[in-house]
Amino acid sequence: MTTPLRKGLLAGVAGLSLAGTVAACAPTTQTPTVQTPATQTPSSVPSASTSTSGASADPGTGGASGYKDGTYSADGHYESPNGTETVGVQLTLAGGTVTAVEITTHPTNPNTRKFQGEFKDGIAAQIVGKKLDELNVSKVSGSSLTSGGFNEAVKSIKDQAK
Amino acid sequence: MPHPGWDTFAFDGIGTAWEISTPAPLAPVVHARLLQAVADYDLSYSRFRPDSLIAELARAAGSVSLPEHAERLGALFGTLYRLSGGSMTPLVGGSLEQLGYGPDYALVPRGPARPAPRWEDVLRWDGNTVTCTEPAVLDVGAAGKGQLVDLLAEILRTEGIAQYLVDGSGDMLHAGPAPLRVGLEHPYDPEQAIGVVQLGNRALCASASNRRAWGDGLHHVLDATTGRPVDTVVATWAMAADTLEADALATALFLVEPRLLEEEFDFDWLMVFSDGRARCSQGFEGTLFT
Repeated sequence: MTTPLRKGLLAGVAGLSLAGTVAACAPTTQTPTVQTPATQTPSSVPSASTSTSGASADPGTGGASGYKDGTYSADGHYESPNGTETVGVQLTLAGGTVTAVEITTHPTNPNTRKFQGEFKDGIAAQIVGKKLDELNVSKVSGSSLTSGGFNEAVKSIKDQAK
Repeated sequence: MPHPGWDTFAFDGIGTAWEISTPAPLAPVVHARLLQAVADYDLSYSRFRPDSLIAELARAAGSVSLPEHAERLGALFGTLYRLSGGSMTPLVGGSLEQLGYGPDYALVPRGPARPAPRWEDVLRWDGNTVTCTEPAVLDVGAAGKGQLVDLLAEILRTEGIAQYLVDGSGDMLHAGPAPLRVGLEHPYDPEQAIGVVQLGNRALCASASNRRAWGDGLHHVLDATTGRPVDTVVATWAMAADTLEADALATALFLVEPRLLEEEFDFDWLMVFSDGRARCSQGFEGTLFT
């Protein structure tokens, strides 16, 4: 049962027309610049394989962070159901703060290539965070509030790891 | 507090925190009915307590008779099992336990990832009767909390309360003339939001892979065909008429192309990927910060 269904699923994706219900999540999507530190790039921030681009590298102070100003790029990897995928990340640092993030994708798997390709033409946005306490919201929907037992276990592990 | 002046009844249930907000305080008898419904649901479906109905199926093959509302839960899981090609299933409980997310909260894998058994091989879900032909750990977590939100809202309506917000830790159902502003929690920073939606007479549910995570890429959203966690999508939101569907669809978005889900469900969706990109349907258009 599984195999034919999967084929059906892929066929459906192949026939996708993006003109319909998929919409731009945000009013403007063309700019890759974000104001908040790029917490979405956990393993990609300056590392041994980092290369500094000459054009914008400007060895500034870096503030308290100890990072030098400049533009850095690195590849991050993640395991997808299709196998290992690679995401290129370029960060611009100024005064110890991330001032710009650019993401490039290097899809290696045909399915992922198709999937990542869907991000073109303004149907996808780069997420930008704003402090919750600066927003006038009544409620928050997310997953940080989860099982009490689970959170206790994680805390216990962290304590043990100290 | 959803609206100024509203009263909130807060309690813990099925392992998480709940808030039920209404224009006027609820009578003690209503509190009691709500808490009883929560206790009943837990006793039916918890895979974390040995005295639950579904725990019997983990110990031995056989049948259990669940409450009437199990019929909708089973039908929804059946549809999503089909649409996901077997990736989304209540039989994923054993795979979760294998990776360490069991009643003992070991959070240490017992061994290599283990695919869930196939529904058609071991499970029959007829109405509210569930039969397993071999011992199986059922986990209805993908939709159970949402269904409980709906059941609690139903109690409020039968008590003549027409305006409310039932919030099961971020999975919520709103009723009333004034929509509510709800922040969408940043998947990597609980002190931030990535956008704000107006929620009016609808359900909103979230699912994220990186919250209940216990290291080395292990978290609670699994692809049941492999038993391994899904990594490309880090957070999803779904809005639908009822919370059962919104909750299940938020999980399904990790496993099924949204266009395929749209063919069978009337809902809106938002997905955030591990590279920080977002993709959404029209209902979430304009909700994200730029």
